[in-house]
Amino acid sequence: MRKPKMFSEFFKNNGLLMGGILMFLVSFWIIVLILLPQLSMLDFSFRYNLPPALQGTEADSYTLDNYRYLVFGPEGASDAFNKVDLMVFVRTILAAMAVTVLNLILCYPLAYFLGQSKGGGFIRLLVIMLVIPYWINEILRAFALRIIFGDGGVLNGVMMSLGLIDQPYDFINADIALYAGLGYAYILLMLFPMYNVIESLDRNQIEAARDMGASWVRIHRRIVIPHAKPGIASGMTMVFMLSAGALAAPQVLGGTSSLWFTQLVYQWFNDTLNWQQGAAYAIVLLVASIAIVLGFMKIFKVNMGDIGK
Amino acid sequence: MRSNILFGRVALAVYLVIFFGYLLGPLLVMGLTAFNSAPFPSITPWQCYTYEWFGALFQDERILNGIKHSFIVGIGTVILSVSIGLAASLVLTQVWPRWRSTYYTIIIAPILIPGVVLGISTLVFWRRVSEVFGENAAFLNNGLFLTIIGQSTFIASYCMLVFVARLQRFDTGLTEAALDLGATHTQAFRKIMLPFMRPAIASAAVLAFLASFENYNTTTFTFGAYPTLTIELSQMVRYGINPSISALAVIIVALTVFAALAAEVYRRRSKIKSGDIKPGKGLPAWMFGNVATILLVALSFVVIAMVYSAQAYSPAQCKIDYKAERQIENQTRIEALQKARREARQNAAPLESITSEPPSQGAGAFGSVFAPTNLEDAAGTGSEESGTPEAPASPFGSVFAPNNLEDAVGAGKN
Repeated sequence: MRKPKMFSEFFKNNGLLMGGILMFLVSFWIIVLILLPQLSMLDFSFRYNLPPALQGTEADSYTLDNYRYLVFGPEGASDAFNKVDLMVFVRTILAAMAVTVLNLILCYPLAYFLGQSKGGGFIRLLVIMLVIPYWINEILRAFALRIIFGDGGVLNGVMMSLGLIDQPYDFINADIALYAGLGYAYILLMLFPMYNVIESLDRNQIEAARDMGASWVRIHRRIVIPHAKPGIASGMTMVFMLSAGALAAPQVLGGTSSLWFTQLVYQWFNDTLNWQQGAAYAIVLLVASIAIVLGFMKIFKVNMGDIGK
Repeated sequence: MRSNILFGRVALAVYLVIFFGYLLGPLLVMGLTAFNSAPFPSITPWQCYTYEWFGALFQDERILNGIKHSFIVGIGTVILSVSIGLAASLVLTQVWPRWRSTYYTIIIAPILIPGVVLGISTLVFWRRVSEVFGENAAFLNNGLFLTIIGQSTFIASYCMLVFVARLQRFDTGLTEAALDLGATHTQAFRKIMLPFMRPAIASAAVLAFLASFENYNTTTFTFGAYPTLTIELSQMVRYGINPSISALAVIIVALTVFAALAAEVYRRRSKIKSGDIKPGKGLPAWMFGNVATILLVALSFVVIAMVYSAQAYSPAQCKIDYKAERQIENQTRIEALQKARREARQNAAPLESITSEPPSQGAGAFGSVFAPTNLEDAAGTGSEESGTPEAPASPFGSVFAPNNLEDAVGAGKN
């Protein structure tokens, strides 16, 4: 009963033409761009990889095979579980978490400094300098780190000429380059949400706490961090989701022996041409990372509405 | 107390240097590699200062095509995602309160969905749609169409956030007044809402274009026969490259810095006009003592100077010199190896007859050249180890300088 009333009110407020355009654009976005493709991918992940001739015939039925493959591996394999892929999955999730926490630690002081400073030319300059790397292509950013971390790279060159090491150290295969690259790629998505919230914190609160003898640690724990919680949650969510779903950095900076989960998805699609299997892997990644984010949001009592502020 | 403050300041300065070093250092290094004539992007063996990679960049057919596709996709994405984002933000202000958080969750979700997943779902969905429509809807499988659709899915969310921030300051009384005075809804939108939203539309458009231009994760599944610049770059990075990619990065960074400084100058200027700050004294009026303006002018001078010098400057002589130097270096190295081999032979002579010397003996001779002491000398520890029994090895130490090792590595890469 209420629904029609809401719609009629909407059209009354916006007029028939404008209301119609708004409705059309929003429903096009939500239904055609967001919901249907996801559902279509979900449906796809439950199907067999069939040649075109067999599609739509009886063989084209639903199956759990694609998911079974991720957990147990191909039929008749020697291992009980698909150890390789599962390890890649676990490693991706854990490493993405580690990158998120490291970014938080690295960004918090700067966000506090920028947020509580009184503005001025120096701060503007710092903000401009922050934005510049973000406008550079993700591939190029990863590539810049490859120049630094590669075998014949700058870091090895400097360390060898200083006599710290006598053989080039393989940063790429040790995954140091990958973690540095992932942290580098999304660091600003951690910084800016925190900066925005801390900026809105009344400076008098900190002064008052300090006057009353609160220690530096206590001020942050009791005043700044509770106030910045939405920003911290927003930043951590974005960094975690983006690092877990990153493809460019692992492709450019990843070692030869270690893969990122998205690279497996990529291989199923572009090398093996088994789209159904790839879709199943993508669904697993999506569901797992959303579940982790929602779980942490529940633990730290953050609302979805805080994200993206 | 005072020393405490001082310590805090020093710690802050160190931290800022580390943070910005991490952020800008890699870009700086990459920028330098664009001017080194070494065929693989690197700065340590520095060979010759050169502009050749910029030339190579503008002759690379694939990069130019990629830029073209990127622009087409970017413009399409800007149009689609800005209009969707604007509509979504307007609906958000009016949606029934109880639905509000659900609605917000749905429209914010594309930011959080991994780009890979968006690309795959777009590809799978539109292939099915085109199967339903058959031949006469071939554009549904077109790479440009798919890329625009796939990117807009999440870029619209970014735009929506920009608009929501602006709409919070909108006075709905204005629209109501216009409607009361007899304007139609369309007129009210065009005359009141659009002018109010114009700055937000501009920044959303810039944001959308940049996000589209640099997107990789989604595009890599949807591009089809139209690789964008990012796709071309990723393929170059993965399958062998020369520094022309760094040259491209230099151009992008320069454009970015220009745009950022120009925006800053513009902001400053409008503030002066509105009387918020007073122009400085002692400088020409157009500079009004603004750091950003001075930097902008300085940067323009540097660029102009570089373009001019690029026409006159030729690294050919330097390259010849470098080649000759390398030849001499190689010559000494070969001589050193031969000498070492002779010595090894002389040592081995009492044990075996020289004529029937097996090849493995030769390898052994090499082994002594690559003895640990050589490497230590090369690393420049400065320790006086020439007193060891392998005294003849120390002269080779300078031959096996760090550069040589890197050259070997670089050669291995090529």
